[in-house]
Amino acid sequence: MKKSIGSILILCTIFLFGWVSVHSQEEMEVVDNSVFDQPRRTSSLFMHDDHNESAGIEECHVCHHVYEDGELLEDESSEDSSCSECHEIDASGDMPGLMMAYHLNCKGCHLKEKKGPVLCGECHHK
Amino acid sequence: MHTAYDMLTGPCAWTAFILFFGGCLYRLIKMLWLVWKKERFIFSYMSLRYSLRSLVHWMVPFMAVNWRRQPVLTIATFAFHLCLILTPLFVSAHIILWEEAWQFSWWMLPDGLADAMTMVVIVCAGYFFIRRLVSPEVRYVTGPSDWIILSIVAAPFISGFLAYHQWFAYRFFTMFHIFSGEVMLVAIPFTRLSHMIISPFTRAYMGSEFGKIRHARDW
Repeated sequence: MKKSIGSILILCTIFLFGWVSVHSQEEMEVVDNSVFDQPRRTSSLFMHDDHNESAGIEECHVCHHVYEDGELLEDESSEDSSCSECHEIDASGDMPGLMMAYHLNCKGCHLKEKKGPVLCGECHHK
Repeated sequence: MHTAYDMLTGPCAWTAFILFFGGCLYRLIKMLWLVWKKERFIFSYMSLRYSLRSLVHWMVPFMAVNWRRQPVLTIATFAFHLCLILTPLFVSAHIILWEEAWQFSWWMLPDGLADAMTMVVIVCAGYFFIRRLVSPEVRYVTGPSDWIILSIVAAPFISGFLAYHQWFAYRFFTMFHIFSGEVMLVAIPFTRLSHMIISPFTRAYMGSEFGKIRHARDW
């Protein structure tokens, strides 16, 4: 009896870890928009690893940038923190608000590289 | 695709804005210059009081006799013009694009309301279209330019509606939406859409002549 309870617990733990890792960055399929109170659009589709593979991005800091006093710190990376840890909903000073940060970072790069979605509905699918 | 988007939202957009604002200014200056050159006496009987009196009576639905005579047309005209002007200025997608470009933003309409206002413009444009076909007195004064002008105005709203709902060819309709919006802006000062800037002056002139000279009402 004790053995079977133990194995159930172990299975549950394995399942929980599995579930958490499915929802980690490597497996992400949409940008988390839960920070927004009442989002006007659906979450942007975004397959983290697929994107980086097809875009040929190897360095995290290409997207996960770090700014200090309005200056980009070369090679410094912020991949351990989520965008909303720095970018608040509203802009503050030179730092764009969260939505604008996503738009400028994603769409800005797509326009510069002439690759990837730039129209609203190409990311925010209905 | 990216090159076309760059063109439409870059050089084409700037050209449209410059032609729209520059064209409106040109039309106003040309109008004043023509009056000065040909009928200078008009300036002498322009009156602020009678101008405003006429403008107010024509800008309030059903306040003028002609508005009361054709109630359906009146409702369609007011709803059409109100939604036509307010929607593009306050729809969230436009404001977000302006903020991306110029770090400049203002109040935005709830998306559902903007969607409804877009439908109002489309339905009213449909009403004007049918009216031109079936009403004998309107059909008599309708020429090719009327169809073109109505299409120029309806196109950005129909394509914007389809793009917002992501129906049919999303990319095509979004790009066409940007293009048709720019065409409409350029058309305003250089076609009869110029009534947007000229009509308040025509009304002010009528109001002044009727009020100050003929001592009569013009509504």
